[in-house]
Amino acid sequence: MTTDIQERFLNLMEDHKKILYKVCRSYCRNPGDRDDLAQEIIVQLWRSFAVFDERVRFSTWMYRIALNVAISFYRRESVRTRHVVPGSEHLLEATGETENRSEEVGTLYGWIEELDPLNKALVILYLDGNNYQETAAILGISETNVATKISRLKETLRQKKEVQQHGTR
Amino acid sequence: MELDELREKWAEHDRKLDQSLRLNRQLLREMYTRRAKFALWRLAAMLAAGVLFMLAVIVSLGRFIVLHWWTPRVSLPAIVLDLAAIAALAALVAQIGLAMTMDYSQPVAEIQKRLETLRKFRIRYTQAIIMTTTLACWPIFSVVIGGVLGLGIRWILINVAVGLAVPALVIWIFQKFAPRMSRQFLKELAGYNLNAASGFLTTLAEFEKDYSPQERSNIREYSPEE
Repeated sequence: MTTDIQERFLNLMEDHKKILYKVCRSYCRNPGDRDDLAQEIIVQLWRSFAVFDERVRFSTWMYRIALNVAISFYRRESVRTRHVVPGSEHLLEATGETENRSEEVGTLYGWIEELDPLNKALVILYLDGNNYQETAAILGISETNVATKISRLKETLRQKKEVQQHGTR
Repeated sequence: MELDELREKWAEHDRKLDQSLRLNRQLLREMYTRRAKFALWRLAAMLAAGVLFMLAVIVSLGRFIVLHWWTPRVSLPAIVLDLAAIAALAALVAQIGLAMTMDYSQPVAEIQKRLETLRKFRIRYTQAIIMTTTLACWPIFSVVIGGVLGLGIRWILINVAVGLAVPALVIWIFQKFAPRMSRQFLKELAGYNLNAASGFLTTLAEFEKDYSPQERSNIREYSPEE
């Protein structure tokens, strides 16, 4: 029975590993920290899996846990590599163009890095294609608030672009 | 770059991840059960050790109070210490209990608020323990010296000796261990982390706050139908 649950959990992790990767990459610049955060998220997911409510979409549930753990991790100042599994193996490995810090991927994550931890969560959810209702349910704020914040972020980006353009002229 | 352009790039990144991202299932399988058990065990062990220690202090002081009930000079300070120990025990149990039952699958704003409140509570607890330890010197001396050793000339001599030894000891401890003292701990004592926690709670409240129609109309592009 336990093996069945573990197998189901592993399969769900396999199906949703991109969420894990993107959250870790957005909240941690350092690869060692990323691995540590991925482990913390998985431990929390596993601990909560026993009481997972099937009526909720798995991705919504996973985003909530991953973002909650990531924000707490980001805000902590203690040494973050204490629990990293020793050895050269990594929990998540992206090969090829994804990991070679291509300019586009670098720009994307670079922009996300500049945001505060709460707006980071909002942007990840927006970029991942979640609608306002889903985003509001994950973050615990109203849909109107989500829409307004997204509009503000768009405005900020636009202003930033204008400043950059003026600067290069 | 516009946010919608970023969204397109992100979708492209997502497609690439489909092909290139590999989850180490073997490592995952070995790791999560072990670490989940360890995390719970660590909290449970902390709770058990703290509770046992505080209970021992409370019971010993209770016994002392009963034995010296008719000597208020020592029984009153012992009552003060016992009450402080009971409050410390209750605060410890509440902290660990809250940490163990935190449900991370609840919405982000709610959980972050609870975590930050818990963090503030923990910092205040640490500060309170340090402060009351200093303030508790008088009842501790009264209980130990008055109740155990008996009052008299020895009381004065011991006071003088302690008065000279304590500052010397504190200076020695700081000189020897200050570089190794946790930065986190020192920041907690200084109240820096408390300010950070309060600041984040304000940020959270701001994040949760719904904008007024006036504020919304000031934003050029507002598209709730997206």
